[in-house]
Amino acid sequence: MSEIRIESVNKSFGDKLAVNDANLTIHEQEFLVLVGPSGCGKTTLLRAIAGLGMADSGRITIGGRDVTYLPPRQRNISMVFQSYAIFPHMTVRDNIGFGLKMNGVDTTEISRRVNDAAELLHIEELLDRRPAAMSGGQRQRVAVARALAMQAEVLLMDEPLSNLDALLRLEMRAELKKLLAEVNATTVYVTHDQIEALSMGDRVAVMKDGVIQQVADPTTVYDRPANKFVGSFIGNPPMNFVDGALERSPGGGPVTVKVGEVSLSPDPSLDSALRTIDGDRVIVGIRAENMEALPDANDGAFAVDVSVVEPLGSQNLLTMDVAGHRMKISTHPSFPVEAGQRLWIRFPGDKIRWVDPNTEAMMYG
Amino acid sequence: MANNNEGDSGEDPNRGMTGGTPTAGDAEPIQAHKPGWRSRMVPYFLIAPALIYLAMFFAYPMFQGLMLAIFDDDAALVLVDEPSLDGDEIERLTQGTRLNILGRQGNLLTDQSDATDLLTEQWFLVSGEAADGSEVSGWTFEARVRVRDEAADGTPVGGTIRPRLGAGADEATPLLAEPNETSDTVAELEQRAPVSIDDIAILEVWFQVQAAEDPSTASGWAPSRFVEVFDDEESGRVDEGSVGEFTTGFISKMFNDSFFSDAWQTTLLLMVLILPLQFVLAMLMALVIDARLKLGSGFLYVFTLPMGMSDLAVGILFFSIFTGNGLLNSILEAFGILDGPKTFLSADTIPWIIFAIVLAELWRATSIVMVIIVSGLQAIPRETLEAAELFGAGYWQRVRHIMLPLLLPSIQVALILRTILAFQVFAVVIALGGGDIVTVLANETFRQYFEFRNNNVASAYALFILLLSMASAFFYLRAVRAQTEVAKT
Amino acid sequence: MTKTNGMSASAAGQELPPLDSPEVVALHSKMKRRNRRGRVFTYVSAVVIALWILVPIFFVFSMAFTTEDTVRSYPKNFLPFVPFSTETMSFFLSSEGVLRGLANSVIVAVITLVLSTVIAVPAGYAVARYLFPGRDLFRLAVLAVRAFPIVVLSIPLAVLFLRAGLFDSVFSLALMHTALALPTTILVVSSVFASVPYELEEAGQVFGATPLQSFRYIVAPMVLPGIAASGLFTFVLSWNEVFAASVLTLENRTLPALVLTSLSNSSDAFQFAGGFFLMVPSIIFMFFIRKYLFNMWGQVSK
Repeated sequence: MSEIRIESVNKSFGDKLAVNDANLTIHEQEFLVLVGPSGCGKTTLLRAIAGLGMADSGRITIGGRDVTYLPPRQRNISMVFQSYAIFPHMTVRDNIGFGLKMNGVDTTEISRRVNDAAELLHIEELLDRRPAAMSGGQRQRVAVARALAMQAEVLLMDEPLSNLDALLRLEMRAELKKLLAEVNATTVYVTHDQIEALSMGDRVAVMKDGVIQQVADPTTVYDRPANKFVGSFIGNPPMNFVDGALERSPGGGPVTVKVGEVSLSPDPSLDSALRTIDGDRVIVGIRAENMEALPDANDGAFAVDVSVVEPLGSQNLLTMDVAGHRMKISTHPSFPVEAGQRLWIRFPGDKIRWVDPNTEAMMYG
Repeated sequence: MANNNEGDSGEDPNRGMTGGTPTAGDAEPIQAHKPGWRSRMVPYFLIAPALIYLAMFFAYPMFQGLMLAIFDDDAALVLVDEPSLDGDEIERLTQGTRLNILGRQGNLLTDQSDATDLLTEQWFLVSGEAADGSEVSGWTFEARVRVRDEAADGTPVGGTIRPRLGAGADEATPLLAEPNETSDTVAELEQRAPVSIDDIAILEVWFQVQAAEDPSTASGWAPSRFVEVFDDEESGRVDEGSVGEFTTGFISKMFNDSFFSDAWQTTLLLMVLILPLQFVLAMLMALVIDARLKLGSGFLYVFTLPMGMSDLAVGILFFSIFTGNGLLNSILEAFGILDGPKTFLSADTIPWIIFAIVLAELWRATSIVMVIIVSGLQAIPRETLEAAELFGAGYWQRVRHIMLPLLLPSIQVALILRTILAFQVFAVVIALGGGDIVTVLANETFRQYFEFRNNNVASAYALFILLLSMASAFFYLRAVRAQTEVAKT
Repeated sequence: MTKTNGMSASAAGQELPPLDSPEVVALHSKMKRRNRRGRVFTYVSAVVIALWILVPIFFVFSMAFTTEDTVRSYPKNFLPFVPFSTETMSFFLSSEGVLRGLANSVIVAVITLVLSTVIAVPAGYAVARYLFPGRDLFRLAVLAVRAFPIVVLSIPLAVLFLRAGLFDSVFSLALMHTALALPTTILVVSSVFASVPYELEEAGQVFGATPLQSFRYIVAPMVLPGIAASGLFTFVLSWNEVFAASVLTLENRTLPALVLTSLSNSSDAFQFAGGFFLMVPSIIFMFFIRKYLFNMWGQVSK
């Protein structure tokens, strides 16, 4: 009943195309995270779903109903705002009950649902207080309670954790995930924080420059990014990229890629894709934790000099140059290394991602 | 979680019409960093000129205005026991008291600058040859000397002693030690003796008086300047008091003024008619501005145009509309509603005058309310309004449930400001109501000052306006606070 | 599930018509039109309000630039400035005392502008930059003073000036106008200074400038437009002020005082031309200060 379908939605501000031909289906009761750097259009898309900024063209349906140009109050949605947008002149109780009151719900029902929502968020003792003196975390809970009290089929969240300090954010992230799993609403959650996206979403939609780059479950987005941008945006540190020279053997043998001194052999299933690349260049991508660091010289490994060692506790992050590209590699803390030391780095074949330098799309077999 | 930032501004680059202009309170003031009294004194040096100026041209005149209204500079005449400024007070008579004049005497005038307005007598210091041939000198009353020589500027320098008339006519004229009848005789001069006049003393005449209607009061001396002498030279009245006293006289004179009740009733009537309409109109204008239309800054300019205009100009503006051959009559006739010009602004059409004043004031003073409300609206985060919209509030519900409550402080300020200004409506009323057909408090203040030359009653009017202003400001502050209290519970 | 207010509710699972089908296009354009309705209403309101403000101004302007016969005529011609003539204007300007009144108005307004700016800038700077004991009291006093009625102040000042032999002089009127303008000027100037972060001044000093130099080269250029705007505001305030001007002057009338005191025995042409002169400065100046209006009044409600 509450599937959200976005078809060919465009939205521009002046000359700037904020959302460019967005197509996206959010399944019923799914938790979808829209993630991307600031200015990528994710908030604009969310606001188009909310009805706070109508799309220029295209169609948005909620539960099969065309809501593209309906005002927000006719969409049966609910929302948590980035700034929480708590009404400062109302008590917490009135804040949570505001939407119900506007929708003509009778007072006993309002009071029941307000109490339920407050209980869910553990803010019963705040109900008769005003927001002015509340902490950011408390306001955040009020904002979520207000959204949940609506019991709408669609719940929209615009960077709800971005105004909390780091510790509280971590705590709220888990609590929110647990809570939203219980409420059965179709949820669209906007964030610029890729960790939040991976940890919370059933699926993640990555946006850049108004274009949806990839929509997939968190594991896929992380392991099999659709393009170079997704690879570098998702994950911390970002995926490493290094240029490789394509060596297409004329006889029809397997294509090899030469990075610096090292020759890499892509999976044969990629052969035809690699052969069709325009030019002799291919970009090789690999995540920091997927490289093998070896203390001694090894066949097929890059000899590198470690320039920086950053101990992060659970891992050490090493910075080095590989074939003229700066790379980061993470190693177990027990692996002995210090700045200036020479290491040998190996790229395991199944962890390498191949990027067409012309389209920046990743190629999978 | 002590330091959570609110981030209300979020992703909201368009908020605010002011664009790149500064908004109040961006930077918090800082403690002067450098230690030492010298740098601690810096802010005081900086505000000193403003403080001094406001003290000189605000606080002091305010105090003077208060005094003008409640203090009568010449309320009573003090009678003293001898004809001298050093005399002890023995009686006080209020202005206008009838007097019997029992005696008169001169008293040396220390400050001769205002001698021309006073009843004075002159004494000459003369010197001449006495009967025994010795050279003598002393003071004598001006009338005793016939002046025969004058200096170039008219100052008498010489003359002869006048012969006396009547009984004892042949007696010599005494010369006194001081220019005072009670002083000792130092010499005598024969009549017609030539004298030179060496000095002149001007004496103010003092009267010994007693209240005519109440003989039980003591008699005493008073300078003649405070006494109006009747033709019989034996009676008179207290013309002017010599000392000030606090009085409610001016205030009661204001209350009893024939224009007073008209003035305050019209002032209040105008306020009651104008303010509610004004706030509704200002709110609508503010909502239009806040809607951020294309051409929004053009509309803002037009909407704020009246703010910079004097009430006089606006009075003339609306006079041009309502006058006999003005715009309104022309339009009404063009549409066939009237056959000939109707007179709107005359003593017979006071409701029309009131109507014209209401329109003029709406036209003129709504902009300022609008600007205050728009400032208030801009302080409401956009997300707050969007949240209300998203949770089901329609436009007018948002106005009612979100905007108006959050605008209360701005509305309070605007109300106080507008009410205080409403008590000062002046030129519009004169331009449209001629200044006498329809009158208001500020107009009466002006008339008392300008036409009737009564600064005291004018100040009483001004004081009344001040008290009304303060009372209404206080009332609004209380009322809006009560509103907020109600909202809290 | 609070409300199901459907525009085109279709059962779940049922395929919607394609995006470019005529019915979808028609539905969308209908809904877009409906959403624009409020906007249209706002524009209409804006235009109506703008006309309500502009038409009277326009009428007086057209009366100020036409023949005296037209001013006297009835019914009035609705075509503005027909016939266009400087007759009214030249009659007004040649009337006794008008040129002198204009000159007086300018002199008073300029003295007021200079005096109030010179006094208000240091005070505004102190309020914006320093936390000192008595700062709040000073601010409160300034705010309270601003709310005081002009009427209350004029009579005692007239009496005082009379005693001091300063009565009926443009300078004493300027002193009075400065007293009226000073509170507003102080508040505006302090808000202008507050908008320049102190860090900038500190940065200047860190890089070797003296406090005075960093004021001169960093703060002054940034606050100049704001202070100029408050100066213009002061000018208009003085230009418009009629009560004190009428009370404090007799022979040396400013323009508003002159027009006011001759209202009852002057012709319509005189009044309209006078109204024109009273309005022109504000119409020009409002254009320049409109951006600052919200600063001037916004902070009052804080």
